[in-house]
Amino acid sequence: MQSRPNPMARSRRALRDVSASRSDTSASTSPERGPDDDNDSIMLQANDSASSLAPSLSPDSDEEGLRRALEERARVSPISRLPAELMIAVFAKLSSPADLKSCMLVSRDWARNSVGPLWHRPQTGKWPSLKTVVKTVGRADSFFDYASLIKRLNLSALGSEVSDGTLQPLSACKRVERLTLTNCNKLTDLSLTAMLHGNRHLLALDVTNVDSITDRSMVMLANNAVRLQGLNITNCKKITDESLEKVAASCKHLKRIKLNGCSQLTDKSIIAIAQNCRYILEIDLHDCKSLEDESITTLITEGPHLRELRMAHCWRVTDQAFLRLPQDATYDALRILDLTDCTDLQDTGVQRIIQAAPRLRNLVLNKCRNITDRAVMTITRLGKNLHYIHLGHCSKITDAGVMQLVKLCNRIRYIDLACCTNLTDQSIMMLAALPKLKRIGLVKCGAITDRSILALAKPKQAGHGGPVTPSVLERVHLSYCTNLTLTGIHALLNSCMRLTHLSLTGVQAFLREDLVVFCREAPAEFNEHQREVFCVFSGIGVSRLRSYLNADSPHRRHPSMFIDGQSTMFDDDGEGADPEMIVNVTARANGMGLNDMDDDFGEDSEMMG
Amino acid sequence: MAEEAKTVTLQTSDNQNIKVDREVAERSILIKNLLEDLGGESGEEIPIPNVNEAVMKKVLEWCEHHRKDPPASQDDDSDSRKKSTDIDEWDQKFMQVDQEMLFEIILAANYLDIKALLDVGCKTVANMIKGKSPDEIRKTFNIQNDFTPEEEDQIRRENEWAEDR
Repeated sequence: MQSRPNPMARSRRALRDVSASRSDTSASTSPERGPDDDNDSIMLQANDSASSLAPSLSPDSDEEGLRRALEERARVSPISRLPAELMIAVFAKLSSPADLKSCMLVSRDWARNSVGPLWHRPQTGKWPSLKTVVKTVGRADSFFDYASLIKRLNLSALGSEVSDGTLQPLSACKRVERLTLTNCNKLTDLSLTAMLHGNRHLLALDVTNVDSITDRSMVMLANNAVRLQGLNITNCKKITDESLEKVAASCKHLKRIKLNGCSQLTDKSIIAIAQNCRYILEIDLHDCKSLEDESITTLITEGPHLRELRMAHCWRVTDQAFLRLPQDATYDALRILDLTDCTDLQDTGVQRIIQAAPRLRNLVLNKCRNITDRAVMTITRLGKNLHYIHLGHCSKITDAGVMQLVKLCNRIRYIDLACCTNLTDQSIMMLAALPKLKRIGLVKCGAITDRSILALAKPKQAGHGGPVTPSVLERVHLSYCTNLTLTGIHALLNSCMRLTHLSLTGVQAFLREDLVVFCREAPAEFNEHQREVFCVFSGIGVSRLRSYLNADSPHRRHPSMFIDGQSTMFDDDGEGADPEMIVNVTARANGMGLNDMDDDFGEDSEMMG
Repeated sequence: MAEEAKTVTLQTSDNQNIKVDREVAERSILIKNLLEDLGGESGEEIPIPNVNEAVMKKVLEWCEHHRKDPPASQDDDSDSRKKSTDIDEWDQKFMQVDQEMLFEIILAANYLDIKALLDVGCKTVANMIKGKSPDEIRKTFNIQNDFTPEEEDQIRRENEWAEDR
């Protein structure tokens, strides 16, 4: 700008600057960004200066002419005052590709600035759109270099329809940051290696269930994706330790790793990951059945940021994995630990875990059948940090343990005690007082009676004589609690207006034709017997059951209840009959996540066997 | 810091002085940083050479209304805010201005580094685009179509996939 270029040269340069700024801002490849960081901060990067405002020009006559032209344009079409970066920020607000396409057709300027947001994540969920994307990317004389604009590519919706022939032409896209190929199980190394070759921008790769891919793809990944942060190779059983060690050695920024079902992997590769990838936040080793203690110990000691460690069904892991942690060391980052079905775990292991990870928030000990009240007593040391505790099938624990747990960990939101058959109403009546309890699982706690349910239904008061706070309970699992009757559940329905899930499979009192009409359908894979006893109310079904029972009730109002001979009538506050809340319930029910449902089916169906 | 630091005076590009509560002015990260750099020495006018009085007043009206808003956290920048074009009612009314003022507000919000206002501005423009054909967009913003018919046709073909989700 110092050498006073003539106006033409200047304007051409201005155009180039614009496009340069476009590619910079949409690149979004700074290594600090997490793979789940969905925000591609086209607009949010700190703005360096007044670059957005009209530059103050020297009174040079050439520039004077340009200035006048710009001014005239700004007067006629005020939007032309916005520089490229701000136009991109506007386009980033448009979520509909159709709108962005319209923007592309407005003018050259608009096309230049909207093409990036439009092609950032092209529609590839349906064949016809994927076909035209592929065709455009393959054109030699295309208007823009579309291939380099694609940052996210997700073919999972087409699953097994995707072949190597589909993916191959997209290997021209060398700036893809997220490649999601979940369930594209026809794909092989052939197209995946082509796709990965030369891409230094990849942040996340998901090849869940693409089970024919092998070490070849992983080596290609290791050789190219130096910025990789997320890797999901769930059920890719042909990938071996050898290539994963290479990935660990070169992809040092890995933060999130899922290796579910990779039972071929051994401690070798997991230790390599632990020692090389020091930023690791989450690792899921579900069903990595060959892993032993050393890999788990190393993950914890080497990963100062490790937040989430899931190792369900890692059968070979024992107490030693935790007992070998250095004395007095604590791992404050660790918040989520899933030890489902680590069947060898004993009380001493749990004690060491709690010592080492005092800030655990979620602890899953489902099917750790050996643990006793001693372990539960140590868990109480987590105090208010503990939000989520799963002790399903820990059938040795008793009321004493649960009552102490509830007393000291009063922030619990989620508790599962399925098949803890020693538990009685005593435990549940204590649990009922937890102020934040949202979900309670008591499947097959056969000893519990309506007294437990009436306690859950009892309105909670804030302090002594304080106002009654509406119940926050959302999900209640009571399948095979065979002593239960309508009385308790009816009261529960009327006091918990946020209830969206109520399972009562196998509870005789509810297997009535007039009630099961409000149930949801049994899962397709259930046999006839399972269908007969299936009884799960969810979403709108809960509200319908409630209305039905209320209309049917001879008193028109919900039954008054007697707890320990004490009468507790609900008042209108306790009932929470606020219309807004009901709307809220329905909204939640409709938006219920699939994962949630699966979780429940799994739970209930598992109980069938 | 001294008591009198509670108000500041901003000097606009057209040499007008505007006195305003420091808390209000500090919705602008640019001004906030400037004030911090100046340390305790207040009383002097702060020059804002890129924003004129009319626009500055409008921007300060927004800052005044939002003076107690919690500062935007990193999380706020995530998808929900980025894509949604929902604008709260007061902001919608605030943005009912002519196009010249609208774009001046956006430029000023960008220069002054007021992310939430920039965001509302961009959403407002996005809402003016939504659902319109290319020709309707050109009319709305008075833009010249500088494509040849062949180019237009090519772009249409290359972006054929981009229909409503």
